[in-house]
Amino acid sequence: MTGRPEREIAALRAQLQGERGPRLWRSLEEIAESPAFARVLGAEFGGFALPEAGRRDVLRAMAASILLAGLPGCGKGPPDAVLPRVADPADDPPPDRPRQYATAVTFEGFARPVLATTYAGRPVKLEGNPDHPASRGATDAFTQAAVLELYDPDRSQSPTLLGKESGWDQAVQAMVTARRDWLRNGGEGVRLLVEPTTSPTFRRQIEALRQQLPQLRLHAFEPVGKERREAAARLAFGRPLALRYALEHAAVVVSLEDDLLGPGPAQVDHALGWSARRRGGHDAGAEAIRLHVAESTPTLTGAMADTRRIVPSARIPALVAVLAAALGRDGAPAAPELSADERGFVSSWASELRAHRGEALLAVGAHQPPEVQALALRVNAQLGQLGRTLLASEPVVWPGAEAAGTLQELVADMAAGRVQALVVLGANPAYTAPGDLDFTAALQKVPWRLHAGLHRDETAGFCHWHLPLAHPLESWSDARTVDGTATILQPTVRPLFGGRSVHEVVALLAGDPWARDREIVRATWRDRLDDDAWRAALRQGFVPGTAAAPVGDLAPSPAPIGLPPAGGDRGLEVVIRPDPSIWDGRFANCAWLQELPKPLTKLTWDNVLLVSPALAAERGLATGDVARITLGDRELRGPVWVQPGQAAHTVTAHLGYGRKRIGRVGQGIGYDAYAFRASTKPWLGTGAEIAATGDRHELATTQPHHRMDEYRPVRLVAPGKALEARPEEENQASLYPDWDYPEIAWAMVIDLDLCIGCNACVLACQAENNVPSVGKHEIGMGREMHWLRVDAYHDGDPLDPSFYFQPVPCMHCEKAPCEVGCPVNAAVHTPDGLNAQVYNRCVGTRTCSSYCPYKVRRFNWFEYAKPAEPIVAAHYNPEVTVRARGVMEKCTYCIQRIARARIDAALEDRPLKGSDVITACAAVCPTTAIRFGDRNDGASEVARAQKSPRHYGLLEELGVRPRTTYLARIADQGEKGEG
Amino acid sequence: MAQIFHPGADTRLRLAMVALGGGLVLLFVAGDRFFGSDWFTGRGDHPAQPVPFSHQHHVAGLGIDCRYCHDQVERTATAGYPPTYTCMSCHSQIWTGAPVLAPVRASLAHDEPIRWQKVYDLPDFVYFDHAIHLKGGVGCSTCHGRVDRMPITAQAAPLTMGWCLSCHRDPAPHLRDPADLFAMDWQPGPDQRQKGEARMARLGIEPARLQNCYTCHR
Repeated sequence: MTGRPEREIAALRAQLQGERGPRLWRSLEEIAESPAFARVLGAEFGGFALPEAGRRDVLRAMAASILLAGLPGCGKGPPDAVLPRVADPADDPPPDRPRQYATAVTFEGFARPVLATTYAGRPVKLEGNPDHPASRGATDAFTQAAVLELYDPDRSQSPTLLGKESGWDQAVQAMVTARRDWLRNGGEGVRLLVEPTTSPTFRRQIEALRQQLPQLRLHAFEPVGKERREAAARLAFGRPLALRYALEHAAVVVSLEDDLLGPGPAQVDHALGWSARRRGGHDAGAEAIRLHVAESTPTLTGAMADTRRIVPSARIPALVAVLAAALGRDGAPAAPELSADERGFVSSWASELRAHRGEALLAVGAHQPPEVQALALRVNAQLGQLGRTLLASEPVVWPGAEAAGTLQELVADMAAGRVQALVVLGANPAYTAPGDLDFTAALQKVPWRLHAGLHRDETAGFCHWHLPLAHPLESWSDARTVDGTATILQPTVRPLFGGRSVHEVVALLAGDPWARDREIVRATWRDRLDDDAWRAALRQGFVPGTAAAPVGDLAPSPAPIGLPPAGGDRGLEVVIRPDPSIWDGRFANCAWLQELPKPLTKLTWDNVLLVSPALAAERGLATGDVARITLGDRELRGPVWVQPGQAAHTVTAHLGYGRKRIGRVGQGIGYDAYAFRASTKPWLGTGAEIAATGDRHELATTQPHHRMDEYRPVRLVAPGKALEARPEEENQASLYPDWDYPEIAWAMVIDLDLCIGCNACVLACQAENNVPSVGKHEIGMGREMHWLRVDAYHDGDPLDPSFYFQPVPCMHCEKAPCEVGCPVNAAVHTPDGLNAQVYNRCVGTRTCSSYCPYKVRRFNWFEYAKPAEPIVAAHYNPEVTVRARGVMEKCTYCIQRIARARIDAALEDRPLKGSDVITACAAVCPTTAIRFGDRNDGASEVARAQKSPRHYGLLEELGVRPRTTYLARIADQGEKGEG
Repeated sequence: MAQIFHPGADTRLRLAMVALGGGLVLLFVAGDRFFGSDWFTGRGDHPAQPVPFSHQHHVAGLGIDCRYCHDQVERTATAGYPPTYTCMSCHSQIWTGAPVLAPVRASLAHDEPIRWQKVYDLPDFVYFDHAIHLKGGVGCSTCHGRVDRMPITAQAAPLTMGWCLSCHRDPAPHLRDPADLFAMDWQPGPDQRQKGEARMARLGIEPARLQNCYTCHR
């Protein structure tokens, strides 16, 4: 997009206006109908457009491929050995039966309670723990990827000394020697840098260590942490608190840049609460939750909002101040001037909040200055929301500011030579420290440095000693969920790469190299849990009654809260956010997460600088241009992404990329936003400039792939209204005879009103069904393998569109075109209504895919599933075939679960019921948007959903009778042109 | 101008066409024979085992039930190879010093599994389930043959998909009473078809469903 900005945006708008009726669009290129975009769409698999070759080259290639085609099917492979156990496995389940362990994996210190499914002692899939109140069977995308993280062959495999492999014996010896020095002066000059954690055992151990070494100082650092929210709680209530939203009790939520439904430790908690309220509201006729969002850069929360307002991030404090003045009684600072537009929506939100006193919530992003958040907390307290929509309890995370110093203090002390020994546990400050601190220069002044972590990362490279930590799935530990409920983490497998748990490493620091993590954790809980209670806690996956004690009778501290000075209005603002797929960079070496299309851009394997279409037009920037941002003496170079719905003069940069040392998957891609980050203003920089550098960067996005010829893929309906049927829906005649489904007819209904686009289903499907990753280059060719994709649509003005999400698995059509198309009958219909794909029959003509109107079939072009190293193959689900190259594959409705349930039912002499089976995507969904079951059973959830007035199918005019159908999203105005 | 076609050209063409047709038929017949041959399917193969375990001796000679060692077979997909403990439950008392049992004793002593070689090795895209076959009434010897006459265990069936389907299309002749499942010498009686069909009706076994691709492939 170059040339005159106004004209271009006007052209985009005109293009949309010229459409008859509503039109949803996926990207700006699509509206502009650029020739390059048309080419991508035209090709069945984007990358298969033939190169500029002569006829003979093509014939030659065809002959060669025919010759090669049959080869993989030949031969029987080497003979297999069987290794039965030595000991009598009477207590163990049979090796081919899964066993589930209730445990948890951790994320930013918080527990994500799971049931780990293991086969023959190796974990292959994590399900949310259905008995746990903070999961109810759901997880987020990060949790699903933990299995691949466990088998990552790039994880650290042995202790290293100065980069050379060493052993645990030497490491223990070095620790003992170092401790002797520390004990001499009570640990003077010894520093411990940790990530904030919720583990009671870790806390107990560190506190014991400080008894031994009273001079030891503790520092805590989390790159995307909530320390500003903790500071806000202290400002507002004069004491440290854990604050949590109870969205299930909220009727009105005003979120000012608080990404409630977006990725983060509380995502599942919020999604459960929000969806319970939203579904209850719409289905039962009660009052639905209303969500109003003001934000500078689009988030999942903004996408699901009833009203979304675009404001610069730097304006949020002013909005909060005006809201506080309008709602609060005392202590609010003088309200700054607002524009007429801002005054309009702020005053209407204020009156809605006031009208719903006690069941409203004013949420302010955890990255906003503490004063701003404190103001909002005080407003909530004054409206009587404490204990209802805003729950305050004793802190869950430790250490807080009372117990630990900050990273800044540590750097200052290191630079001044006051630190003699530094132990870094889990954190990776050499990468995540803000660039202006110059952490690594200060670090190198410390004479003795030790790092313990999952990977030999950047910090490991700057330390004398590095110790490999065990993964949460291989160690004993404990952790608490956001509400404080504790889970005992039990190992599902012995440490694969010789790591030790963090508790064993702390015990080593405390002079007990022989302590084992199980005993350490057991000791923490000895007082509270006797042996029976301990076993019960392990079995059910949490310790009952450990939720953090609520704090009643909180009085907002009367001290007036002043607002921080607003940044200058000149220049651009740069907001820094964690990456939606790889967060702060900790998941950078996980191929599943790298390849997970980011919720709104559908970008993979990269981070970009989000700019608004207006700014792009103004500065002559287009998606893929490398731009330079300058802010004072700091500079950041990265590819631009033109993001609809972005604030005009806000640029968003994502953390987590630009890693220098992590592993083969994650290093050397993207730009490093940490280097650009300022320690005093970590989330927002004002007064920046952006300019094109003239370079281009290839970006791999799945957004233009797999487009359906559906003009209304996502349908909207006004509250309480029914969808008007489209005329073509009545015409369901078919030349083929009808199937009858005498027993079970599997069906899926996806509620678009509840789907928040979180991608958990995509990764659950990937983990369950052995879906391989393909890499950035192959994605660019349109060859991603995800069986389930989540389409993102925009509606309306490119500067301020609405966002919709639509998960698209296989439709399992009753009149499936793919079945007709397959020349070798590899696509077949089953008596319960599945379109089964028979891999061993498929010869790879790809006819089925070209016949598929929904574009849900995936072709395995190369041996994508072949693991880089043998250990990686251990994550494969043994119940599902690992597909070879040259084979078409697609969503099977988790046929292995159906087959398993069918056999189990037969063994138990009972008929198979629809409720016996749940697909991986439906099980993981934190908003229960995906429902799966037996359509023939009138009482089932899917059968009831199919009778909903919001029910519709995609491309119904084709008469293929899809089995996967949708419930329309509810929007105030309904569909454009609707009566 | 010379004749383009030789007088015998027609004959040659006809011969060539017959040869081509015949050759194709021959190719298919030969292919069928080849792919169905024991050499290709592996029927009769008896891979060398670390211990020359004799089913003949243990089953026919001593009368040990199949489930004494393959104790998971009624519950799970795989029949299960016995752990070394099961072997030693007898061999700690008898034949305690036999040289052929040295690998078994070594396994127990060093806590290392015995590396048995698979005799029945299905492709990885086939999901066979022992438990459901027993439940339906398919006895051991139907697929594994007269194991009680095998001094060294051999593959008794071709394990081709056609062989699997021959039973899935018409299971009645093979379905036994639960009491006979582990009998090695079971023979179908004259009323087998009625008995088999009665069993199918009772358990709701429908060949139409058994022939579905996803019965075995997922």
